[in-house]
Amino acid sequence: MATQEMTAQENIRNFSIIAHIDHGKSTLADRMLEFTHTVSERDMVEQVLDSMDIERERGITIKSQAVCVSYTARDGQIYQFNLIDTPGHVDFTYEVSRSLAACEGAVLVVDSTQGVEAQTIANALMAMNAKLEIIPLINKIDLPATDPERVRAEIEEGLALPADDAILASGKTGEGIEDLLEAICQHIPAPTGDPNAPLKALIFDSYFDAYRGVIALVRIVDGVLEKNAQVTFMANKITTQVEEVGIRRPANTPVESLSAGEVGYLVTGLKDPKDVKVGDTVTLARGGASEPLSGYREVKPMVYTGLYPIDGDQYPDLRDALDKLSLNDPALIYEPETSHALGFGFRVGFLGLLHMEVIKERLEREFDLDLLATAPSVEYHVYTTKGEVLSIHSPQDMPDATLIERIEEPYLDATILIPPDYVGAVMDLSVGRRGIFDNMQYLSQNTVEMKWAIPLSELIMDYFDQLKSRTRGYASLDYEFSEYRASELVKLDILLSGKPVDALSFIVHKDKAYDRGDILTKKLKEIIPRQMFEVPIQAAIGSRILARTTVKARRKDVLAKCYGGDITRKRKLLEKQKAGKKRMKSIGSVEVPQEAFMAILKVDE
Amino acid sequence: MLENNEKLPAIPKLSSQHAELYEPYRALYIHIPFCKQRCTYCDFKTEALPSDDLAIESYLEQTIREIRTASKNSLLGSIESIYIGGGTPTFIGAKHLVNLIYTISLSVNLKPTTEFTLEANPDSITPALVRDVFALGVNRFSLGVQSFVDKELGALGRVHTAKQAHGAIETILERCENVSVDLMCGIPVQDLASWSFSLEQALTHQLTHLSIYPLTVEEGTPLAAAVARGALQPANEDLQADMMVAASKMLGKAGFERYEVASYARTGENKQNSASYRSKHNTAYWTGVPYLGIGEHAASMRIKLYGGECARERLMGNTVIESLSHKEAVLEDLMLGMRLADGVLASRIVSASQELPELTGIMEELQALMLVEEKAGRFVPTTQGWLLGNELFSRFILS
Repeated sequence: MATQEMTAQENIRNFSIIAHIDHGKSTLADRMLEFTHTVSERDMVEQVLDSMDIERERGITIKSQAVCVSYTARDGQIYQFNLIDTPGHVDFTYEVSRSLAACEGAVLVVDSTQGVEAQTIANALMAMNAKLEIIPLINKIDLPATDPERVRAEIEEGLALPADDAILASGKTGEGIEDLLEAICQHIPAPTGDPNAPLKALIFDSYFDAYRGVIALVRIVDGVLEKNAQVTFMANKITTQVEEVGIRRPANTPVESLSAGEVGYLVTGLKDPKDVKVGDTVTLARGGASEPLSGYREVKPMVYTGLYPIDGDQYPDLRDALDKLSLNDPALIYEPETSHALGFGFRVGFLGLLHMEVIKERLEREFDLDLLATAPSVEYHVYTTKGEVLSIHSPQDMPDATLIERIEEPYLDATILIPPDYVGAVMDLSVGRRGIFDNMQYLSQNTVEMKWAIPLSELIMDYFDQLKSRTRGYASLDYEFSEYRASELVKLDILLSGKPVDALSFIVHKDKAYDRGDILTKKLKEIIPRQMFEVPIQAAIGSRILARTTVKARRKDVLAKCYGGDITRKRKLLEKQKAGKKRMKSIGSVEVPQEAFMAILKVDE
Repeated sequence: MLENNEKLPAIPKLSSQHAELYEPYRALYIHIPFCKQRCTYCDFKTEALPSDDLAIESYLEQTIREIRTASKNSLLGSIESIYIGGGTPTFIGAKHLVNLIYTISLSVNLKPTTEFTLEANPDSITPALVRDVFALGVNRFSLGVQSFVDKELGALGRVHTAKQAHGAIETILERCENVSVDLMCGIPVQDLASWSFSLEQALTHQLTHLSIYPLTVEEGTPLAAAVARGALQPANEDLQADMMVAASKMLGKAGFERYEVASYARTGENKQNSASYRSKHNTAYWTGVPYLGIGEHAASMRIKLYGGECARERLMGNTVIESLSHKEAVLEDLMLGMRLADGVLASRIVSASQELPELTGIMEELQALMLVEEKAGRFVPTTQGWLLGNELFSRFILS
């Protein structure tokens, strides 16, 4: 047990660093850890807080993190900083909001070569809503393209934040780091919780340890959390005994107790990660708080996809892998699904497209699985003629059209920031995607903010890539769920050699069915290689055929020359070809490459 | 002489033990890895050099010593076919070539039935060269013509013209009746009409053999780069198929039998050796006959006399690059057998399926797909089976 000197509440500073993706948040955090000798230079791996390989490779933060830093300020006082690193992607908006709720302040990082972007605004607004003190920081001032004055103006105009005192810094060179640390001491308020009130601790993240079970990261809002205390998780009323509490510097360091204003970890003794929910309140089982902290909500997946092992034998491995990953990711939900075309797999729900990509990549990389993903779908609410309401996550579960009274689909409020020149391009794209224009305003001379209501199902179809390419990369996008609205939707089936392939079916607006069917059949014709037999591809609604193409039968596939030295080489080539085929899925007698199942996403070419 | 020897690289030891442990080699391949210029599609082991480069001289001397050693170790006593290939063997000039062939004629018991092929390029054929090598025992020429259309030859980076090709064929035929010509289909800029034209041009000569093969764009070649940047477009699959079918028809009418997927032989008796005009040497590769390769990157195949796990080995120099178990060797024979019009004996499948029960199902499936048919007690590939050869052959790769 480390002997931890209690830090007086007035010397605690709890804050987050918030930024648009790639604006240098994690590197900046690293420099702070270095400067305060929290992590020795020798142990410094680039971006300490991004602990997953994928996080480091992609330069994004997926999980929240917390680290406790001691800083001796110029005034001679020793401060305890709790830096809470938040996920940097719109998929994780709720997690970000809970992390911010654990703080009194936020450092808003803006890349001085890029300026204010959609997530800068979204994050700043979230921080303001959480009533945080915001310290603007203009980053990457070491780069030749740096333009701090323009960025300062954008912060003032776009965010209505005073930016005169914005800190100029470089995460790369470490310039400005000390200014930042001082500003945190001076400008971010100390926590004001009451240590004598009943315990209220906010869970802002959790993870699973193979030996110790679920460990929650908590901010003590009121009261004191002690080792061995009986505590209750208020959302699901589970009571457990605290095995250990401690602080993270960054390794877990046990302490006897955590008191109001402090941030630390809690070894819950619970084994099921689903029992410990981000945003929930921990209190004492006896003499606890009567009301939980506000802001908690159930995390619900936004996007669903079918994940199937290419090799059916890997199904149990996939199940085990999902079990393991979900231990650290309670937002990941899944249930078995069977497809006629693809065999046994899982319907998996994700917070968003990035979350989906990351999980698929981790499953393949960390668990050595070859997976096929079907096109993502959203959750539709289907009102049947019998008066039932069904939640449909997969096109193959859609009831027969005659049984449907109406279908509702999720809409998002999307915020798009662009230079004024691209307003037309965004209009075209968004109207084409059934977007409903809400309003538009100039944030500055160079930046227009457009607001749209867009169906989520349209947004997940390549919308962001299209937005980027049509605005030469200038657009930035942020969105949040708004509501379910009724739409005239139909299920479009794809038939190969006359047989419907359930894994290729998708839900589409009635008015777009013909175009999508036409594009998709053409696209599949390019993707599906020529086979031994002719393969007709059809798009149909029920029995009505909307479009048809044909993959011609293969005519010639032979490496003709084969003499002495070639025999080994030829065999290797044939083996390679055969292995390549294994990466394809055999549907009936048709070999279908993996990308066919994602082809529906690329509809604008 | 001794001093000179000391400077030469060490001779790989082809041990005399060899002769007792393995079936005797029946085919000998000598590799000459030099060319005047590399063709744009070539990914073979060869080097473009000036013809008087010292590297050629030292390579030849090394090769000659290896042949003598092989002979001394009794590895060449059963050789029935010899093939000097490349590269461009004729590029190294008459002097070197004569030395090499002279060595071979001393080392191998050359009978009238021994097939002795020299690979050649049209631009390096001269009457004197043909006269000299023919006198020393070469009795078959394999000429890399590829096309009789100069534009197509240009696209391939060939150093000769159509006119030179005609001239070279005539020069050889003056002395040696057994001439094979290579023609290539699927050349960028080639169409069906120009392909038929090349075939017709070839048929104006009394050739005994033709090799017809579709151009493969190999990774890392200048051709692949030209295709990648869009400068050249290779023939599409349908056109290539049409070309292969056209060749089969035209050559069949002209009295050639297609005895292998890419090989056509004039029908009738080869009077010189009382055999056919099929390539004996290439047939060795396809029928599990042990062969010895000498020279850089030349492959050998040997068969162990006394079983053990490994039945068949392939070597590069003295390094074993592949060992096949008995099962794998059987599958390889079947796979290679499917290249041949003769296919494989049905009884062979029956006996092999005792060891490889999967075979029965494989043959049934291949027949259902009409890639193979049963004819007079043999399983033989269909025309479709040859066109989709990779599909057919890969069935014999079991995973």
